Amino acid sequence: MRPQKPHAEIAAANPRRGGAVLVMVLVACVLVLSAQAQARGGRGTVLQSWILSATAPVAAAVGALSHGASNAVSSTLALFRAREENERLRRDLDARERELFRLRAEARQGAEEHRLLGAGASLPGVVGTVPILLIERRAGVQGALIGAGSADGVVAGSALAVPAGLVGRVVTVGRGVSRAQLLLDASAAAGARIARTGELGVVRGDGHGALILNNIATTSSVARGDLVESAGIDGIYPRGVPIGRVESVSRGSKLFLEIRVAPAADFSRLTDVLLLAPSLAAKESAEPGRNTAQ
Amino acid sequence: MKIGRIVLLLAAAIVFEFFVGRSPYRSFLPVDWFLLATATVARSGNFVRAVATGAAAGVLEDAVSQPLIGLNAFAKAVIGYALTLVSVRVVFGGALAVGGALFVASLANEAIVALLSALLSQSPIVIVSPDALWRAAATGVAGGALESAWNFPWREWWNRRRLRRLR
Repeated sequence: MRPQKPHAEIAAANPRRGGAVLVMVLVACVLVLSAQAQARGGRGTVLQSWILSATAPVAAAVGALSHGASNAVSSTLALFRAREENERLRRDLDARERELFRLRAEARQGAEEHRLLGAGASLPGVVGTVPILLIERRAGVQGALIGAGSADGVVAGSALAVPAGLVGRVVTVGRGVSRAQLLLDASAAAGARIARTGELGVVRGDGHGALILNNIATTSSVARGDLVESAGIDGIYPRGVPIGRVESVSRGSKLFLEIRVAPAADFSRLTDVLLLAPSLAAKESAEPGRNTAQ
Repeated sequence: MKIGRIVLLLAAAIVFEFFVGRSPYRSFLPVDWFLLATATVARSGNFVRAVATGAAAGVLEDAVSQPLIGLNAFAKAVIGYALTLVSVRVVFGGALAVGGALFVASLANEAIVALLSALLSQSPIVIVSPDALWRAAATGVAGGALESAWNFPWREWWNRRRLRRLR
């Protein structure tokens, strides 16, 4: 509600009086405009100059205030942008670090494969290198999971070795991974030969990280340090791959010696192994009823 | 409306004009602050003060933005009279109505200035341009927002907020 001032209100709210004022104002405007229009192209009017001079401090002060506010807004926006950029750069850096890690791992893997293949040139029928994904040692079971399967040409019965010696054999083949039985497994066995004497026996794992050479007669001249290698008579392992060296010889039963063999391969440090071509017997046994776990 | 308040309104219009004009966002806020001041005075129903305020606001606007003083003074004096007439004869309120009236008033302001400018400076007539429409829209939106803010029950809202906090 407007304040109650009857005379003044009625006079002010009178359109006629307002109209008169309007006409006066408009006439004044036209006169002022006409005067300026004649002087168009000149330096401008005194009135304009006065008004500009009067408003200059206000313009400067408000302009500075506005500039400060704009700067504050810009700084805030820049801060948010910097945060976003920081996040993006962090993600980028993480991705690059992962990539670097992957490349380094691949380089190491490549170098290891190169070393293995170079060193394993003396081994018979090397197909390629496969990574060891997992080694399990539990209740006499000594097995490993290898990162290659039927897609990579792995066949059940394929022998695994490192340049130092025999490791084991593939027992179950999947598409991308396979399971191998290590030579140290309590149920693993391989035909073996003492390199110096040429005597044949059977090497078995004892389930505790050592090997036992059986079926060597008490008449044998086997001695500590003799090299034991695969004999190639079991239809699984190729001939001539080192298995280990004789660690101790003792008289067991009446007929055979009890010979402990230290494995040639370092089973505690297996990372990659050489996949050897399966023997004909292993191939034939694998073909009809392939023991796979697809 | 008292003269002191009118002077304050004009001062605020100048401040806002320079504040937005200095800002890098000036093209987004081409609000005619002098027209808002004129319209505010016109709502009080006082023809004389509305016309005088329009003329003064126009002179100030011309001084800072036009080559000829009097163009906007003429236009805003007419608009001040017209808006007072509307506010006296027609009962209307609400943000939408105020915004619409200011939109039309801003376009009328542009048209009058364009006509006068064409008559006096022989410049080509540009009555409705995208800039003019944008300016009118911004002025209408700003006027509607101010109307809403003016009519908002701030006291009750504050009391309710305080009670909520106390609970």
